[in-house]
Amino acid sequence: MSTASEVQAPARLTAWSRSRGWLTNPWGRPRFLVLFTWAYMIWALVPVLIAVQFSFNDSRSRTVWQGFSTRWYWGDPVDSVWHDPSLRNALVQSLKLATADVLIATPIGVLLAIGLARWTGWGSRPSNFLMLFPLVTPEIVMGVSLLLLFTNVFTFVGTGTPAQILGHVTFSISYVVVIVRGRLFSIGRQYEEAAADLGASPTVALTRVLLPLLTPAIIASAAVVFAISIDDFVISQWLSSGGATDTVPIQIYAATRAAPLPSTNAIATVMMVLTLVSVTAGYLVWRAFTRGERRPERKAAEEAGAALQMG
Amino acid sequence: MARGEILLIGLSKRFADVVAVDSLDLEIPGGEFFSLLGPSGCGKTTTLRMIAGFEQPSEGRILLDGADVAYTPPHKRNVNTVFQNYALFPHLNVFDNIAFGLRRAKRPKNEVRPRVEEALELVQLGGLGKRKSSELSGGQQQRVALARALVLNPAVLLLDEPLGALDAKLRKTLQIELKTLQQEVGITFLYVTHDQEEALTMSDRLAVMNNGRIEQVGSPRDVYEEPETLFVADFLGVSNLMDAAAHGAGDAGCRVTLERFELEAGGGERDTTGPAKVVIRPERVELERRDDPSGPNRLPGMVERLVYVGSAVQVLVRVATGEKLQALVQNTGQALPYEQGTPVQIHLPVDALRVLSAGERAVRQEPETDTVPA
Repeated sequence: MSTASEVQAPARLTAWSRSRGWLTNPWGRPRFLVLFTWAYMIWALVPVLIAVQFSFNDSRSRTVWQGFSTRWYWGDPVDSVWHDPSLRNALVQSLKLATADVLIATPIGVLLAIGLARWTGWGSRPSNFLMLFPLVTPEIVMGVSLLLLFTNVFTFVGTGTPAQILGHVTFSISYVVVIVRGRLFSIGRQYEEAAADLGASPTVALTRVLLPLLTPAIIASAAVVFAISIDDFVISQWLSSGGATDTVPIQIYAATRAAPLPSTNAIATVMMVLTLVSVTAGYLVWRAFTRGERRPERKAAEEAGAALQMG
Repeated sequence: MARGEILLIGLSKRFADVVAVDSLDLEIPGGEFFSLLGPSGCGKTTTLRMIAGFEQPSEGRILLDGADVAYTPPHKRNVNTVFQNYALFPHLNVFDNIAFGLRRAKRPKNEVRPRVEEALELVQLGGLGKRKSSELSGGQQQRVALARALVLNPAVLLLDEPLGALDAKLRKTLQIELKTLQQEVGITFLYVTHDQEEALTMSDRLAVMNNGRIEQVGSPRDVYEEPETLFVADFLGVSNLMDAAAHGAGDAGCRVTLERFELEAGGGERDTTGPAKVVIRPERVELERRDDPSGPNRLPGMVERLVYVGSAVQVLVRVATGEKLQALVQNTGQALPYEQGTPVQIHLPVDALRVLSAGERAVRQEPETDTVPA
């Protein structure tokens, strides 16, 4: 036991130790982490914001700001996104690919996820693992191999829009499977068992119980597929047949290498907004659908209330 | 024959190299409240899941009102389940949850509504049909799960620890409600629980399970008062188990010796000889003063500890044989004349003392259904 005389006076705080204490005080706000996070955010976001800003520049310069205008979006009769046929085509082609990708990859991925999550026999583990392969395979490798496949083996596919759609679907399916399978594991088998218990055949259990419960995951994965498809460069480029099948990223790449105009920034901004909107919409839908599933503290309180009422 | 009779014959379930249920034989007459009681991993839930149809038996037969349903898929069996965590469909409201089964059975609309409302009234949730299940308390969710299963008027209702997620007070209330409800609707309830108090309070009969086998079947009173195996004696309530040597039948029961003390045990296997255990419930142990007149079945001891538990006082006594014994003395408001170190005389009444042979497995050879009153 220590007596009062044994208790040492606190050491004098130096300027250094005080500032260190301000950063790392374990009882205070985690200031160091906050600073670190903001530093990263600025590093990552500022270049993007500057690129967006210059899409609204009133002159042809992408470095000198000369006032706000929307000429690079639709005002300029030749070089704006709206009027330049190559940019407009690229936008249409990108949207076409992304839409087709969503419509094809999502249903296939959902069914694969259900199969993989509910299949527990021999071979299920390797198959589940293999589904991650497209996520880790370098895109350039996949692009080259698909090109070889479509030009040498399945020559009826060739290059162009169908090949691009097939390529996008190939790697998108994995994302759908991973997202939907995660949801399947978190909802467990209990609802299907309850449905069967109440007289629902496996098909009815799927359509009346499982699919409604998977809706948030299905919508979220559709949003992610849309976003990654519209962003894709490598596979779209390898499987493009040039001209009309060039997508926005390909156009941006080409334009930046040749004679870049703020219209390049404008179309990039359009892409970014599309991606953000789809991902945000997916997130909001997910939240809205799963709202009832995470309120443990409220449930506990209500339970106590019910116990009082009945007691 | 009452509807809802269950007959399990040689029912087994193996998962890889684990035997979850080991050739179970059990007969449950229609209209009974029957519990499967046992520690976790004893196979009780697997048994229930096989009857529901979620697991396929490795061997054996499941007869439901005489028809073998072991290989009938769950959606074609006339049994319904109340799940441990209710499994209410989160995308449907209370009404649609309860109507789910009726709609699958293609009942006409003008029949569905009154039946669902009747079921809601039955579980005292009238008027809550429009709520989402996530807007209900745990106790209310439990009632919806019950209504959802009962509305289909099954032959058997299976309940898998349905009160497990609720707090103690609510659990007590719902125990009584469940029992009342079962008597009202008159169908067979098969109730799985690890809570001995639940099983004893509600059941007409219960089976105590351990390691995939049934240890004992009987009324709550039979199982509690006359445990047939050491496991049952130990699992149900607090038991005093003491090593003894048995010497076969005497005047009032089996003659047993605990070291130099000779006792007679009126219950259990009265003809047994050799190493055995004697069992007595704490509430049946009688404490006397050391200088009280001696008599049969009395042992000297010393109070080691008093534990106040509210309604009673637990007295831990060190018996002269060296073993510890627990006595439960009802709290009558008067101070006990004991404290730590008080020498006492322990009376183990003949009829309260049971002898069980130490070779645990040898005890149970007959089919459990023998103890069933016809």
